[in-house]
Amino acid sequence: MEILDKLVNVALIAATLRTTAPILLVALGGSFTTKAGIFNIGLEGQMLAGAFFAVLGSIWTGSAFAGVACGVAAALVFALVFAVLVVSFRANEVVVGLALNILAGGMTISLMKAIFGTRGSIVGQGIVGLPKVQLPGARAVLGSWAPLISGFTPIVYVAFIAVPLLVLFYNRTRLGLYIRVVGEKPEAAEALGISITRVRYIASLLCGLLAGLAGAHLSLGYITMFTENMSSGRGFMAVAILIFSNGDPLKVLAGCLLFGFADASSLRLQTFGYPSYLVLTVPYVVALTALFALSYRARPKIIAETLASMQRLLSTDRNTGPDGKHPL
Amino acid sequence: MVSNAGSPTLHMKAEMAVALTGITKRFGAFVANDGIDLAVRRGEIHAIIGENGAGKTTLMNILFGLLQPDEGSIRLNGEETVVTDPAVAIKAGLGMVHQHFKLVPSLSVADNVFLGMEICRHGLIDHAAQIARTRELSKRFGLQVDPTERVGLLSVGIEQRIEILKVLVRGARTIILDEPTAVLTPQESRELFQTLRSFVAEGMTVIFISHHLEEVMEVSDTVTVLRNGKRVATRPTAELSKDELVRMMVGREVSFDRRPRAPSQGDVVLEVKDLWARDDRRLPALRNVSFTVRSGEVVGIAGVAGNGQTELAEVLSGLRPASHGAARLKGRDLATLFPRDIREAGLAHVPGDRMVRGVDRNASIAANMLMGRQHRAPWSSSGVLNWTAISQNASRLIKDFDIRAQGPGDAVKRLSGGNIQKVVLAREFTNGADFLLIDQPTRGVDIGAQEAIHDEIMRQRAAGRAILLISVQLDELAALADRILVMFNGRIMGEVAGDGADEDRIGMMMAGVAAPERAAEPA
Repeated sequence: MEILDKLVNVALIAATLRTTAPILLVALGGSFTTKAGIFNIGLEGQMLAGAFFAVLGSIWTGSAFAGVACGVAAALVFALVFAVLVVSFRANEVVVGLALNILAGGMTISLMKAIFGTRGSIVGQGIVGLPKVQLPGARAVLGSWAPLISGFTPIVYVAFIAVPLLVLFYNRTRLGLYIRVVGEKPEAAEALGISITRVRYIASLLCGLLAGLAGAHLSLGYITMFTENMSSGRGFMAVAILIFSNGDPLKVLAGCLLFGFADASSLRLQTFGYPSYLVLTVPYVVALTALFALSYRARPKIIAETLASMQRLLSTDRNTGPDGKHPL
Repeated sequence: MVSNAGSPTLHMKAEMAVALTGITKRFGAFVANDGIDLAVRRGEIHAIIGENGAGKTTLMNILFGLLQPDEGSIRLNGEETVVTDPAVAIKAGLGMVHQHFKLVPSLSVADNVFLGMEICRHGLIDHAAQIARTRELSKRFGLQVDPTERVGLLSVGIEQRIEILKVLVRGARTIILDEPTAVLTPQESRELFQTLRSFVAEGMTVIFISHHLEEVMEVSDTVTVLRNGKRVATRPTAELSKDELVRMMVGREVSFDRRPRAPSQGDVVLEVKDLWARDDRRLPALRNVSFTVRSGEVVGIAGVAGNGQTELAEVLSGLRPASHGAARLKGRDLATLFPRDIREAGLAHVPGDRMVRGVDRNASIAANMLMGRQHRAPWSSSGVLNWTAISQNASRLIKDFDIRAQGPGDAVKRLSGGNIQKVVLAREFTNGADFLLIDQPTRGVDIGAQEAIHDEIMRQRAAGRAILLISVQLDELAALADRILVMFNGRIMGEVAGDGADEDRIGMMMAGVAAPERAAEPA
């Protein structure tokens, strides 16, 4: 019991929300492209670019919010390049996404070297982090539970508020509906005079917006620094969640919370003295297990068909076996 | 039928709802539309009829802005219009119900109807208002739908009603329907015709594409016949007879009569004995089916679709296990063989759904004609394909079977339905198999191609093949089969000789009433 208390408490839940925020934002961003029928593997790169330029902006201007704006702008540029190549020039989305991811990784490293003359990470140098929002009255109402809703950076609130907003967006607004239609049945959109190109551009840019915010949260949120490959696979994790949630905001939230919780508990597990390398795999193991469990239920058609045809084959054997005429 | 053409309130120049002049469209060297003129009067049902590949759909796609003509001009309501995209056409009061529906399965009926022109309040979509308006329109024109239901769960007939509602909501006054009855049951077709008449009663115009003679005779005021991309004639329906129409469509006489032939008593090729099988839901689909097919005879299987014919074909081709009983092809038990072995043992199979099991639509004609014999000489040696031989063979078959295509390298998906079916037939009939399993050979195929296919089947019969012909079209069975077996609910209800085929008696058996006498089955 004591161990459980130590493991699950208010601080852990608060940490879960904190670690969920960046992956939730980037996954919600990806939800736009997923719904619009674009397989966007470039989330990782957009996020990384966002993180780097957010730090750069905050150093240049001395303002955290201007830094966030810079990060978002950088991610938008990546998203625009992605859209031009994929939507206008019909390039393969996986190839373009991967190329942009590699570009983001290499570019941030070489710019870091060129501007700061360092390798590895940018720390200090006048980076201004995001302020924490203390909700007035939270402590009075919730007492020791206050950290659950108060004391996060603004981007965390944005991430969680974005979930119901996206639900509303997809169900009750034209643009949301068009994004869904373009992804699900492009020929229907075309026949109705909805421009597939335009809708996909908009979806890509909305994706860049949220991916940039997610990146800025990484570098200006709870730690104010930039390190090489700072996004460390969160963008890919988001892609995985998107595949299994089909971009539905609530399912995306569930997937991200699971990952965030595993991430937060792994930090906690380190205090128990387990080898840190092993502990750091926990979130990924949890995520993989969950995705496997989910995907087995809603397994893609091709797997279902293979299973069915194997069953058919087996039942053929059973049916014809007993009369002894069957050579198999 | 109502015709408002003479109505004095209409301005002279607007008497024509649609007027196309000299429309020409080429795809590569292939001329799909060749200088076509078409004038559709306001308030009429104008049928456009022609064989598959005659250019009907191309012409309508041009009118609706989905394709751009290479030559020619379009006047809508008397005004010269360049229809750059469908939005222009919609604005001019045109609406098109496509052959393949363009609905979004995850959205509700009302959402689909209003897609692209949503009713909004405070910037949010007003679902309640959309549902109410859909309900009102569906009542007014007798198009029964539940506006709140998800489209993915609905049948094809209802999907078509949604497509029509979509067009109506956009304020269309001229409605184009591309082969609307191809997907409908006879009952649904009758309901559709009533809806179309209610449209012209309100002064709207209907353009109706079809290759079904009876429908055109029944519902249209004017007929335009297309053949090989050219317009043959435009005439009032009342002045035309069915014979004339057929002659104009195919450019030659077509007979529906029974083919003369000498009776044959060859060896038993296929023997089916006490066969049982289950369907995909594990329910019995075949119950105690027994029959034989001899070389040089055509045995027909009649029945309403879904009474076990599909399962029978699947068992015979090795695609579905029998749960009981046996089927023997030239003495070999099919249950012990894989589909490929069955083919090697002498089966040729023309599947009922050609797009699923007949062809790979993305592959070329040559590749499709190769399938199933790719491992045999001369098509390959030591595992390497001989494309020269394959493509020469394909060119020859394209000529022999009169397939309208540019060449053997053409992708099958670019062909029309009838021509795709001919690709399947060409492959299966030249396989040298002794037993031909032919399932719905002329489904969705125009009359000219139908006749060619029937001729080919009779040639195969004369060559001593044993043929099992499954068809839902009685006239087809009556014309071709030596004996007709009638299936109902997985059983064979009875047998009639092809030359004495009596539609009433077959109809009774198709409905599940046992025939009083059954001709002795030669065993």
